[in-house]
Amino acid sequence: MGTMNRREMLVLGGSAVLATTRHAVAQDDVLRFALTPVFLSSDLDLLDHLKAYLGKATGQTVQLVTRRTYQEVTALLVSGQVDGAWLCGFPFVEHKTQLSLLAVPVWRGKPLYQSYLICSADRDATAIGDLADDIHAFSDPDSNSGYLVTAAELARQKSTPDKFFRRTIFTYSHFNVVRAVAAGLAQSGSVDGYVYEVLKETSPALIGGTRVVRASEWFGFPPTAVPRAAATSAKTFDLQQALLNMHKDESGQEVLAMLRLDRFAEQEPALFASIEQNWDLVRGIT
Amino acid sequence: MISRVLKHGLPVTVSVPLVVVLLMVFVSFGVSQVVLARLAVTQERQLTDLANAYLDGLEAALIDPVLRQDPWEVFDALDRARNVYAAVRPLSTTVTDAAGTVLASSDPKSAPIGSELSPVAPETQADVALEQSQQVAVLDRTLSVEGRTVGYIYAQLDISPLLTERGEVLWYLIASNAVLTLILAALGWFAVRGMIAPMKILMEHINSAAGGTALPIPANVVKRQGPEWARLFRRFNTMAEAFAERETLLTKVADEERLASLGKLASSVAHEINNPLGGILNAVDTIKVHGDDPRVRLSAVQLVDRGLRGIRDVVQTVLASYRADREPRDLTPADFDDLLVLVRPEVRRKQIKLTWSNDLPPATPVNAFGMRQVVLNLLLNACRATPNGGALVFRAEVTTRALEIEVSDQGPGLPPHIAEFLANDGPSAARLTSSGLGLWVTKRTVKEQGGSVIVGKSAQGGARFRIVVPVVVVVDEEIERVA
Repeated sequence: MGTMNRREMLVLGGSAVLATTRHAVAQDDVLRFALTPVFLSSDLDLLDHLKAYLGKATGQTVQLVTRRTYQEVTALLVSGQVDGAWLCGFPFVEHKTQLSLLAVPVWRGKPLYQSYLICSADRDATAIGDLADDIHAFSDPDSNSGYLVTAAELARQKSTPDKFFRRTIFTYSHFNVVRAVAAGLAQSGSVDGYVYEVLKETSPALIGGTRVVRASEWFGFPPTAVPRAAATSAKTFDLQQALLNMHKDESGQEVLAMLRLDRFAEQEPALFASIEQNWDLVRGIT
Repeated sequence: MISRVLKHGLPVTVSVPLVVVLLMVFVSFGVSQVVLARLAVTQERQLTDLANAYLDGLEAALIDPVLRQDPWEVFDALDRARNVYAAVRPLSTTVTDAAGTVLASSDPKSAPIGSELSPVAPETQADVALEQSQQVAVLDRTLSVEGRTVGYIYAQLDISPLLTERGEVLWYLIASNAVLTLILAALGWFAVRGMIAPMKILMEHINSAAGGTALPIPANVVKRQGPEWARLFRRFNTMAEAFAERETLLTKVADEERLASLGKLASSVAHEINNPLGGILNAVDTIKVHGDDPRVRLSAVQLVDRGLRGIRDVVQTVLASYRADREPRDLTPADFDDLLVLVRPEVRRKQIKLTWSNDLPPATPVNAFGMRQVVLNLLLNACRATPNGGALVFRAEVTTRALEIEVSDQGPGLPPHIAEFLANDGPSAARLTSSGLGLWVTKRTVKEQGGSVIVGKSAQGGARFRIVVPVVVVVDEEIERVA
């Protein structure tokens, strides 16, 4: 970048402007909603149903944009390239000044979930201390349950994942964390408790190779959000209504059943305060 | 049986199928080797193709994650490849960075992330190396970007199905070749047996011909054979007929020879009769003139009596020797002693020193007429061969098991061609001479009695004939003789 001359900068800047303009035009007739893989095993089916429901509920053409990492999804959302996204609580608090909370899923009656530390089924570890010097699988550096919870717990012990574990790997999906631990690629992993519970039902053979070392405290469930700039737009309103009313619609219920969720509900950003505290802890701010 | 086989070799019915079996084993061994080698080459080529396809697929998927040093992506690619390339049967696949540190393995427990890979086959020349004993193929592939090595793929494929297939093919070959060999051997046995059946018939007839009676092969048997054998059988029959004719002829010759020897005897016999006849006539004249004198008459009559008795002996001996249609009887010592009468004139004329030893028991179970004929023949020959004043030995005895007769002379010995001719079983027409013929008839007669003539050199330098005829001596007679 240091060697880039002025004309190249202008060209790059120009194309960025063009891209932004094209997206701005597109936003008028298409509702874009971004998300990361959830379960992987049945994601295409789930996306079809979600797209169909949102299209019907909002009366707009819906485009679902999937990205591998939270970082990519967050970037799309913050930059306004998508109209809404299903994020994790961690990127939401990271970008809370730029984002506005839309709706939070309710799972087993609460808008809360846990992070699990898991290991292979034949180990008898009961606490994080038993996992020292492991090869540890995280899901995503921007995931609360798949990274931040474990990192914060280590921070409370004045340690970091890199010091505590022999090695860490990122699999960019909770499902893959379970696969890595079950296959023995990693000796332990940090995984979304909700995903793990659903996988117990859908992939019992895979889950059978692992066991939960400990479940964390409860955190705000990964929420849906919109760019703060678009918080009051009609499109946001339509999207929010569609999400909040999902459980009242037959095809919406199908989507919720696939996700094993009760419904979507309005929540205050304060729901994610404990995640922010963990973030501060890990960043060394406290 | 075994020693017979060693000495004469195996019968054709066994040796031909055996040769078939050996050839088949040899051929099937060769064919099996070729088939297995081809199979191995084909399998290895297929395996190499599959392995390369597998490695190519992996290489494409792994370059990026390896560059990023992303263990999960590497593992994910390996894990997916395991299902996609199930036909390759990967046992384990491990990916390392350029320094040999494991990025990820499809079998993470044996090759954990970050471990140093034990040098399985770090820098093998070929992409694919088969380790048949362990039933695995070891593959390796260097991951390169822009000419720079960024990592390695090591994989082990399960090749046990290939080896199992080879084993199955081998057993199939062995089984099918064994069955084929047995069938061919059986066919060979039947074919050879069929082929040599006529030979057996021929052998039987030739054997009987060798035994003296050449029976022609019956016409219906000849008709059943193929053209070659039928022709051979017909020729054999022609030969058998010729053989039978010759036998008849030889019998006739033998008879004639007997008569011829009688002719030879005639002069000496006539002489033997003539001598006493002269004395008798003198005696008769004396009686005519001085018959009144009782002393002279008595002496003359005694002379006539002696002379007539001598003539009677000679005539009786000749009759005994040459009269046909006699009842066979056992041999007595007198049979040989009689012959002295016929031989004596010649002995006397040539002043031969005759040694006569006749130790026969009172009766020996041997055809007396035949043996008389034989001994007379040998004695006359010996007299003829012995020079004036020479020695002639005759000896006859019965040992424990055989009648043994020996006639030795002081003549020049037997001419070699006659000795050879006697040693052989039959006379060859080209060699037949009158003297030889007499001896051959002698030999034939002895052979008819189950005995043999042994020709050798006598102590005096002439010929010596030993005749040995086995006899069955009645036990009590033997005991009597011992006593």
